[in-house]
Amino acid sequence: MSSLANRPSDRLIAILDVVLLVAAGIAVLAPVAWMVLSSFKESYEVTAYPPTIFFSPTLDNYRSLSETTPFLQFGINSLIVTIGSTALGILLGAPAAFVVSWTRITWPAIVTLLARMAPGTLFLLPWYVMFRQVDMIGTYGALILTHAVITMPIVIWVLLPFFDNIPRSVFEAAQVDGCSPVRIFWRIALPLVVSGLAVSSILAFVFSWNYFLFALVLSNSDTKTLIAASFNFIGEGSTNWGGLMAAATLIALPPLALALVVQRWLISGLTLGAVKG
Amino acid sequence: MQTAKGQLAALGAPAVVFTVAMIAFPVVYTLYLSLVAFSATGATSFVGAGNYVRMVSDENFWNGVVVTFYLYILSLVLQLIFGTALALMLFRAKRLPGFVRSLFISPFMMPPVVAGMMWLVILDPSLGAANYILTSFGLPPSEWLASPQWVVPTLALIDTWQWSPYVALIVLGGLQSLPPSVYEAAEIDGASGWKRFWRITLPLLLPTLVTAMVLRSVDLLRFFDLIYITTQGGPANASLTLNIYGFRTGFEFFQLGYASALMVTLSIIVLGVTLVLNRLRHAVAW
Repeated sequence: MSSLANRPSDRLIAILDVVLLVAAGIAVLAPVAWMVLSSFKESYEVTAYPPTIFFSPTLDNYRSLSETTPFLQFGINSLIVTIGSTALGILLGAPAAFVVSWTRITWPAIVTLLARMAPGTLFLLPWYVMFRQVDMIGTYGALILTHAVITMPIVIWVLLPFFDNIPRSVFEAAQVDGCSPVRIFWRIALPLVVSGLAVSSILAFVFSWNYFLFALVLSNSDTKTLIAASFNFIGEGSTNWGGLMAAATLIALPPLALALVVQRWLISGLTLGAVKG
Repeated sequence: MQTAKGQLAALGAPAVVFTVAMIAFPVVYTLYLSLVAFSATGATSFVGAGNYVRMVSDENFWNGVVVTFYLYILSLVLQLIFGTALALMLFRAKRLPGFVRSLFISPFMMPPVVAGMMWLVILDPSLGAANYILTSFGLPPSEWLASPQWVVPTLALIDTWQWSPYVALIVLGGLQSLPPSVYEAAEIDGASGWKRFWRITLPLLLPTLVTAMVLRSVDLLRFFDLIYITTQGGPANASLTLNIYGFRTGFEFFQLGYASALMVTLSIIVLGVTLVLNRLRHAVAW
């Protein structure tokens, strides 16, 4: 009865939906597009006023980035710290998540969650004093250890539901057959949560890559990560926007690409299990 | 059985040792540091609650509290509104390809530091694209991050650009778990779309929204990367949050004791807000 009367207003709502969606899309993506566009502009063009949308693109900014700054070295530093801390996070977090899931003793997991809540500076002050005493400031070791404080909780909280989803009867049957917990973890549980391992390592990678504060203080000019080096690019960027935007684009690329890969699992991973995806 | 327990303990031990060494011990150590003062020669002297007493009469501390909460509340409100709106749009656009959907959601995966670099250029007071757009609509240009009056709203706006998609992601999860029967019943009763949103969707979404609030609050109260990369607390301390103030006190002025006291205070604030919001989460659960 009402379907006929509703039709014009339905169509109006459908059009409104599209208009709003396009507007939201522009608001979300235009700044990123502007950043990428600017990175391909000649130096006189990037500060042109009024700003230009059409221009002949150039790779000069990217070229000069590798020639005039140790961009490549910073990139390698970032990879060492990120991969190292992700591996350490998995190494520590995966068995811990298994034990938490098996024993239901949750306090260690909750302590790591509290660590995620506290401001980074709270840890950084004592770490600074500690690492200075053992002469580790500026080393990859200090950066990997501190970044593992970011990655380990991610690994634990992402893997926990994966372990919880394995039926208890699987473990019980293995135990009856005389399998020890270490063997069950290594031979049965771990192969069953491979996808969880993949998601947690990607998320750990992204958050470790993006993390700024620890490397800002604990790295030196040789071990500086890209994110910490951003600060130098800005100092130089006041005269060189093209270079600054080229650096920004390259630094943002790995996490954005990985995010698109794991988008299906993002919800449960990013909310630390607070929302079911 | 005994060995089984032992093996489980062995599996969990590395993480526990790491947590104690890198998290628990440092927190205790910060508590200790907050009770001492470092002299120029590096010698420490116990000052008891001295660092905390000093906060009471430190105008930068009170300024930090005000800036922290101003930035927190403004950002949180904006992100909840825009995040919920974006989630509703994406929820209705069921035919939107997954790839486009994840593009909408992507900004918060970008390093906040990069977001800062990007917006510094866009919001440049004299040559930025933002002011060009404003003036071409006949609006007055803004000083954005360079204005003591506008720096906090500008930071809130940048953070809202980056994190509304995250709120949307959470709300979308909540929307997908709502029972469709409720909508069907409301539709049969002839409730309008607007009414359905206010009377049905929003109340049912409240637990999800509070979850989003908790997750965002933790980040917003210790807002750091974006401020440090763009203004470092300026102009005229207008964006000097507690976290930035504590960091600069510790690592630029090397007053580790006082900086520790500031960070302990900020951590207590974060914990307090989280506990209050958790209470709220239980109150709105259904």
